[in-house]
Amino acid sequence: MSSPGKIAVYNLSDLKNTTDDALPNYLNSLKFRQLHYLTDVRLALGYAAVIIGGALFYFDWTLGWDATKAYTLPAVIAYFLLNGAFSYWLWFVEKGVIYVGEKQGTKLSISTRTEKHDPTYHLTATITSTASPSTPPRTLSLSVPFSRFYTSDGQFVAQPFQQWLASSVPVVGQADPNNVTEEIGRGNVTEANVGPSELKDVLNALKSGGGVKGGTRRRG
Amino acid sequence: MFGQLASLQPRQIAAQILNFALVLSTAFMLWKGLSVATNSPSPIVVVLSGSMEPAFQRGDLLFLWNRGMDTQVGEIVVYNVKGKDIPIVHRVIRRFDGGSKPLQLLTKGDNNVADDTELYARGQRFLTRETDVIGSVRGFVPLVGYVTILLSEYPWLKTVMLGLMGLTVVLQRE
Repeated sequence: MSSPGKIAVYNLSDLKNTTDDALPNYLNSLKFRQLHYLTDVRLALGYAAVIIGGALFYFDWTLGWDATKAYTLPAVIAYFLLNGAFSYWLWFVEKGVIYVGEKQGTKLSISTRTEKHDPTYHLTATITSTASPSTPPRTLSLSVPFSRFYTSDGQFVAQPFQQWLASSVPVVGQADPNNVTEEIGRGNVTEANVGPSELKDVLNALKSGGGVKGGTRRRG
Repeated sequence: MFGQLASLQPRQIAAQILNFALVLSTAFMLWKGLSVATNSPSPIVVVLSGSMEPAFQRGDLLFLWNRGMDTQVGEIVVYNVKGKDIPIVHRVIRRFDGGSKPLQLLTKGDNNVADDTELYARGQRFLTRETDVIGSVRGFVPLVGYVTILLSEYPWLKTVMLGLMGLTVVLQRE
């Protein structure tokens, strides 16, 4: 998984899937413990339904309609209940969640989506504290163009992706401080906004030897 | 394509296989649900011969209903003959007994010269409504069943189609 290979950069689902696959690798490498219960429940519901269908198929094949007639209706009802539960889980519980992980009493749940014909990665991170359940969960909504971490010929580059995630989601940033970068101004801050007190801070920072460590690694 | 598949996590592979299995099993269970609703082991059949022309052509799709066993003369029924596995679609031209005795039927294809006695099993002269008939025709769609005629006449097409379906569902992650 470390090198997923090149993808077609105009294929939006390729972009999303490759990024979605890279995300758990990165977070797990930061010692987040990945929780699979959402996927596991979905798989269990789905496979239970398939097993019922398969069993009915087998007995229908070997014993015929007359022998299986009495069991067909219950099996059909059970199948569609499980199938309905599967779809409900997929659409209303998982809702595009691709990663749930836990680290030091903080639970991080990440869902992603793309919109049609728009190469932007939309990510929603929900941070809950498992240590103190009364704290309301924090939700962050982020968007980033895929071009930020794909080369023009479709190679995924991990570092800008990791920097983006670490800088935008605080829990990731805490786990991986080396990848935290700061947004440097791009000329949208007018001089009028810079008050003397802030200038003093900047001067102090420069005197003390440039505390903004990652800032210089940021690529435009 | 396969390289991409090999790089997936076990759960992702399980999920891809599940997608394929759900497509197949949903189709099968819908069919079985229809079977239960119509009380017929095979609620949709395709006309395979021209023996009912001009009412039905080869390839017409027929919808069967098997509740209410009091079949009348003039109804079109689908029946199975013991020892033959192809269902036959023909019109009822006589009925016998009924009431306390089991209802028996004689059928004939509209386009055939003689009645179906020749088609029945050896020594059989009538159809028993309860056991031989799998339903009477309640509706039809012309021609759409022709695909299944092609599939049954060229069995390799089935393998190709199933294989392609499987591959696309497993490999595609849309």
